[in-house]
Parts: sequence; structure tokens; C-alpha cells
Amino acid sequence: MLSERDLLTRVQRLTVTRLRVWVAQGWIKPADTQAPSYSEADLARATLICNLEDDLGFAEDDVPVLLNLIDQIHGLRAELKVLLAALDELPPDLRATVRMQITQTRGPGNR
Amino acid sequence: MADDLYSVLGVAKTAKTEDIAKSYRKLAKKLHPDLNPGDKAAEEKFKKITAAYGILGDEEKRGRYDRGEIDASGQETPQQRYYREYAGGAEGARYRSSAGFEDIGAFSDLFGDMFAERGGMRGGGRHFSMRGQDAQYRLDVAFLDAVNGTTTRLTLPDGGTLDVTIPPGVGDGQVLRLKGKGSPGLGEGGPGDALIEIHVRPHPVFKREGNDIVVELPITIDEAVLGSKVEVPTIGGRVSVTVPAGANTGQTLRLKGRGVKAKGGAGDQLVKLSVMLPDQIDEDLKSFAETWRSSHPYDPRRKLKEQA
Repeated sequence: MLSERDLLTRVQRLTVTRLRVWVAQGWIKPADTQAPSYSEADLARATLICNLEDDLGFAEDDVPVLLNLIDQIHGLRAELKVLLAALDELPPDLRATVRMQITQTRGPGNR
Repeated sequence: MADDLYSVLGVAKTAKTEDIAKSYRKLAKKLHPDLNPGDKAAEEKFKKITAAYGILGDEEKRGRYDRGEIDASGQETPQQRYYREYAGGAEGARYRSSAGFEDIGAFSDLFGDMFAERGGMRGGGRHFSMRGQDAQYRLDVAFLDAVNGTTTRLTLPDGGTLDVTIPPGVGDGQVLRLKGKGSPGLGEGGPGDALIEIHVRPHPVFKREGNDIVVELPITIDEAVLGSKVEVPTIGGRVSVTVPAGANTGQTLRLKGRGVKAKGGAGDQLVKLSVMLPDQIDEDLKSFAETWRSSHPYDPRRKLKEQA
């Protein structure tokens, strides 16, 4: 776990004010809120927000929209992975059936 | 990595610093690994443009590169750990959102159960706050309801209802904002507003001009010549109006305060007189007109001839 100070030293261009605003906005969720401590994921997320605002030139108002979309995509990807992992456990004949069904559902004009 | 840095960013060697930055941003928005989770090629390209920008975006380094003092791979930035590397793992689970999956899952028991198991994650952004969207509606209102004000109930597409108070004097195309009646927000973000665009249906008798109401009032020849009392419809009911003797087509009578009630006083009703001949011209009228014409000539088109 990283303290707020660790986070500030490791992420260039991150300031206390910025970090606290982001936490207040819910963009960053400290792993432990009491004595705020952060994970490597929080660090990478803070770096991402810096990237979006400083390097890519997005406005502060755009950031929640982007984070929301990114979080949705990772939500979808996680569910898809679960689904695929579950399908991988099925016996071969069942998997073949599923594969056929997918091809059918997709249809010719829908790939 | 012996590529020409200028062509990597798609700019001319003579490009200004701000154009280089603009070009970099445009490419970076497309290629940033966190905006392309799972796309390895995008990551490679992103590294290239970022390295190129690291040199060309810096006046001093750009000069050294132009003079051949450093080559294109001249600088190696420390590896950034992208958020996407964590997003799929246990740590990222706190941020992952399943908001908006319902429409997919609703068709399948399989998915329905799957999302239900995640319990707390349903509905998504518990860990994410954003104000709800404004909802836009269109409401047709009868002319008199718009002028006098009313309350009406709007049926929403999802079957819900919304009580809308239409203030007196609302105009066509005006938008009413109902605070907090839009889509619910995420997390601590409040709901959006309902925006209701008012469309006022036209009335066969009343026309609105600002806060005045205009009505055309047909009168007979004798009423015009001799004057009389005539009933006129107003937006508040019928009233009796005195038509002065000698009234003419195009003449306007003003009924003070009978128009649209607005802040700081009401408008007026304007009654435009229009002299109507009877449907059938009988012998009496015909012979009267013939004798009258010969003894009382007048020219209503005199001005017309003078001016055009």
C-alpha cells in the first residue's frame, strides 16, 4: 500500500490539491479511506488522469465522461472474460454447439 | 527506430511548436493505451509518437535533433504502467462499472444471473459520481391553456408521469426546466433536469402578438355607419364593445388589459374591424347604392394613386 506522499512523489505533476479533488469527485477511490492509502492500480489511474488532462488536452469536465466509459469497458471486458473462461470449461461437444450457435446468432451480415 | 520523427507525428520540418503539440494530441487521443485496452498495435504507435514528441516538443532537444546531435531513439522514457494493466485485476474491480448492461442481460437468463450475483455492482457507478442527464420532452398545449396557464400531466416513454405547471403566458418554443426531474445521477451526483419544450397550438380566432391578443371582428354596414354595441370573444370570455359610428375596415379598437397576463402588467386585446357586406345584395341596397353614388362621389384610392 502507498501513502498519499508516496503517490505524490511517484506520479509526476500530481499535486495534493489535484489528488484530493479527484478523490472527492470519486475518480480515485483510496483502498483505505481512513488513513488514505493507495494501491498500484490507484497510482496507475492517477497517472492516467494526468495523461488525459495534461498530455492529451482534455478538459476537466471531460475526465468523468472518459473514466465512466473506460470503467464500463473494463466492466464489459471482465464479464466477457468470465464468460469465456466458463465456456472453456465445457466439454468439447458442448463448446462446438456454442460455437455453432454464436455463428448462427451473428448471422451473415452481422460479424 | 530510425524513423524520421517529423513523419511519425505527421508534421512538416518547419512546423511550429504548437502545431506539433496539436498533432501529437490528436494522435495520442486516438492511441493512448488506456483508451484502447487490449490493442497492442496502438500501444506501439503511442510509444513512438510519445518518444517523438518528447524530442520535437522540446525546443532545445528539437534543435539538437535537427542538427543531428541526437538520433530519433535519443531518449528513452521510463516505462509507464498503464491503468489498463490493473483494470482487469482484483484491484481494478472497485472501478469497473456494469452500468448499462441491463439491456444486454435482459435477454438472457445466463447474463441476468451473472450480473445479479455481483449485487453491489449492479447499476454501476457506486464508486463514481456524475450528474444525471437532462431529459428532453415536447409538450403540445392548447392556445388558451398557454395564455391562461394550467397544469397538465405528461406521460413519459417509460410509463411514468410528470406533472407540469404551465405558467400563464408561456410562448411557443419556450422551454420549461423542471429541476431534478431528469435521469437519476450516479453516486453522489444529483439527477438531471427535465427540459420541456412547449408547442402552442394555433387558435382559429385569437392570434398572439407579444402580450397582445389580436382578433378580427366582422361588422355589418349599418353597424359601421351608425355605430353599435357588439359582443367580442376575449381570452377571458365574451365582452361587449362599442363600435363607434363611422367605423371602418382596418380600424383597431384596443381593450386595455384584456391580453396576456405577464409580469409587470397584462397586454391588450386588439380588435380589428372588418366591414362585411351581406351575403346577398338585395334590390334595396342596390338602388340605394346607385342613387348614393351619383350624389356622393368619394375616392378611397386617392392616396394609392399619389404614392404609387
